Amino acid sequence: MKKVNKFLALLLIGALTLGVLAGCGKSANEPGSTAGDDGFRTLDEIKESGVINIGVFSDKSPFGYVDENGDYQGYDVYFANRIGEDLGVEVNFVSTEAASRIEYLQTGKVDIILANFTVTEERAEEVDFALPYMNVALGVVSPDDAVVTSLDEIGPEDEVIVISGTTAETYLEKNNPDIKLQKYDAYAEAKTALENGNGVAWANDNTEVIAFALQTPGFTVGIPSLGSADTIAPAVTKGNTTLLDWLNDEIVALGEEEFFHTDYEATLLDTYGADYEDTLVVEGGAA
Amino acid sequence: MDVEVMRSYLPLYRDALLLTLRIGWQGVLLALFIGVVCAVILHLRLPVLRQITAAYIEFFRNTPLLVQLFFLYFALPKLGVRVGAALCGVLGLGLLGGAYMAETIRGGLESIASIQSESAQSLGMTRMQAFRYVILPQAVSRSVPGLVANVIFLLKETSVFSTISLMDLMFTAKDLIGMYAKTLECLTLLVVFYLIMLLPVSVLGSLVERRLRHAEFGP
Repeated sequence: MKKVNKFLALLLIGALTLGVLAGCGKSANEPGSTAGDDGFRTLDEIKESGVINIGVFSDKSPFGYVDENGDYQGYDVYFANRIGEDLGVEVNFVSTEAASRIEYLQTGKVDIILANFTVTEERAEEVDFALPYMNVALGVVSPDDAVVTSLDEIGPEDEVIVISGTTAETYLEKNNPDIKLQKYDAYAEAKTALENGNGVAWANDNTEVIAFALQTPGFTVGIPSLGSADTIAPAVTKGNTTLLDWLNDEIVALGEEEFFHTDYEATLLDTYGADYEDTLVVEGGAA
Repeated sequence: MDVEVMRSYLPLYRDALLLTLRIGWQGVLLALFIGVVCAVILHLRLPVLRQITAAYIEFFRNTPLLVQLFFLYFALPKLGVRVGAALCGVLGLGLLGGAYMAETIRGGLESIASIQSESAQSLGMTRMQAFRYVILPQAVSRSVPGLVANVIFLLKETSVFSTISLMDLMFTAKDLIGMYAKTLECLTLLVVFYLIMLLPVSVLGSLVERRLRHAEFGP
């Protein structure tokens, strides 16, 4: 009898699990959470609440990071603060990881993602991108004593460090499936792993690897540009047209005052110098 | 829910399950070994070793596995000691688990009244014989429920392996979500695979328990 009870208990666990999972689809959009009935907040709802939730990186200097006073800083954050100012609401920064950016939008945890989000076809199926505000390509950084200048130099046993959920990961998985990837889920860990020599190189957005090589002695960007040139843009939850339209208008309007050049000079100049300014910055959403 | 997508992810989840199991079981075995050694040291009140063991247990029980893994994987190389990710996982689980196992087994040992040891010795057994033939068998059977709980706890703790680049179940799910955004499918598979891994352990554990505690449960 006892045995039968045990099996019944196990069956019950299984049934409950499936029940909970099945219920997920319906309950996710229940009112009362931060998001409204559609899983997102419209422009008016955001203005009414007086707070906009913006997802940024907290460990990706100089784009989105937390400074020694605990304040969010960087190129993305500078833009986020301006959005809050022009909307007349307070900005609540939400720290995100690369791999959870889409989730945060789809579950309504943030209204906008401004976390160096590269526009790709796959992502555009899941979220709505506004006009771009930055250019980007992929780059590969490696130690000075063994600089990787071409992907062909990477041996079958060598591991390349990537961050889970980035375009570098997707690019290498698709185009160079033979290269072994060592995946991390945060920038800080990937950088430490590279410093410790756990992988032969680190592939990521070229902006990021250039910044790393400039800040860390002993490392060189052997491949400064890999794959296609892409753009970085703010993203909102799929279907949130009121917020998307507002963002597009905002980006066009900001172009007139060359806002993103000002942003670059305030946040990126120290890292990249003036040489990269026109390469990186996109004004008014124009390519 | 897209079943086709889930089917295409199955091989990745299977690999992750195998990795989790491989590292998990090596860690559990190491933990059991450390646990038994520490518990015996504590029970027999061996001088010096006893203090070292107590310090070890308090240290590893009061730091999270995540912190221990970070230290092993990211800090040790700065001191010139390089440990591979898989070995870090095994060591982390083994050292954390060892501390828990030691306390569980010690609890079993302490639960046997000291009069049993004294009686055995009065019948002419040495202290070690009394320990080996009278105390230990009873203590092990009393520890089994706690040990099984520890094993399940350790296997679940493998979900923090993502920080040291091990593609365990949790990281595989997060990684696929990051690349293809099939959240519901990925998380459903994740729960199912954890159940596939842990339910048999639960069932096996209760079978072992019944077998070892024959006297209490009856045939």
